[in-house]
Amino acid sequence: MRKLFSLFLILILPGFIFFILSCSQGSCFEETESYLKASFYSYESRKLTSPDSLILYGLNNDSIIYNKSSNVQPALIPLNASKESCTFVMKINGIADTIEFRYISYPHLISKECGYTFYHLLTDSVRYYTRHAIKNISTGNKTITNLNVENIRIYY
Amino acid sequence: MIRVNAQDTIPIPLKIKIGLEVSGPVIYYTNRNVNSQEGFVSLDIDEKRSLIVAAGYLNYKYSQFNYTFLNKGSFIRLGMDFNLLQPDKSQGKYWAGIGLRYGISRFTFEVPTYQKTDYWGTTISSISPKVNWGHFVEIAPGVRTEIFNHLSIGWSVSLRLLLYTGTGKNLRPVYFPGFGNGTKTITTGMNYFIVWNILIKRLK
Repeated sequence: MRKLFSLFLILILPGFIFFILSCSQGSCFEETESYLKASFYSYESRKLTSPDSLILYGLNNDSIIYNKSSNVQPALIPLNASKESCTFVMKINGIADTIEFRYISYPHLISKECGYTFYHLLTDSVRYYTRHAIKNISTGNKTITNLNVENIRIYY
Repeated sequence: MIRVNAQDTIPIPLKIKIGLEVSGPVIYYTNRNVNSQEGFVSLDIDEKRSLIVAAGYLNYKYSQFNYTFLNKGSFIRLGMDFNLLQPDKSQGKYWAGIGLRYGISRFTFEVPTYQKTDYWGTTISSISPKVNWGHFVEIAPGVRTEIFNHLSIGWSVSLRLLLYTGTGKNLRPVYFPGFGNGTKTITTGMNYFIVWNILIKRLK
């Protein structure tokens, strides 16, 4: 009996340590932003081609997302979770276009540590855009998440 | 010390055991956001196997800078415990074995507020309360020993595999009754028990 009781005590200690450790708080290491991922393609060659210069900002928003940036591939476009559509001004190599996205937003739990983010679902193919530098936009995966998955292709 | 000779028969006491989980109240004493109560009843079928029904209740609150999560509900686990000790070692007093259980949890969770700050500013929203059913399986190795007549103490480690949360993949519960962290497919836990043993029969 003594032996068994000793065994019991020996086993209870690591169990208790494990129990204490399992209660410790973690940190958020995951990607918490859900961007629409737009890849750039050459309209002529149909090959992946980054613009020499990219300017991107939301219409009626003073903050600039990309400011004459080069080698942007893909562009990460933040949709407004409070609205069901939003419009961006995109200047590719100095030529301006506007693109409107229509979507619904819904909450997604990333993890206990990171909390909630918004995922979006494009309700329609992207068809509301001007065609100055942009020649065509094709819509791929309509679900916009924090994963690195291409959503649209911009041909210019 | 009991000597057992080959020709001796060992009387095997079969018992009903009523156990109370004691770490839940201790945790609640230190953290008022987690109120977890759990107990079990088990019935010895023979010297090795016991049918077990465990049930419990959870009232859980978690809050951090960008969201608050509330969950309240109860659970039941059904299964069997297997004593790995030989009858001459266990003597009806000691148990070292493994439990296999199927768990069902009924809970109501809500997120009164969560917020996300991004390029467009801060969006504040909420998720209204909804009843869900979670399902999981559990393996629980552990030990128990009788310290006084009819009274045992023991502990078990729980390894749980999530089967279904009922909430969809976007709103997996941060924590739910009987399982723990619902954002993970496998969770672990510890349970400490005080057990009252009631003799029902002796097998010879």
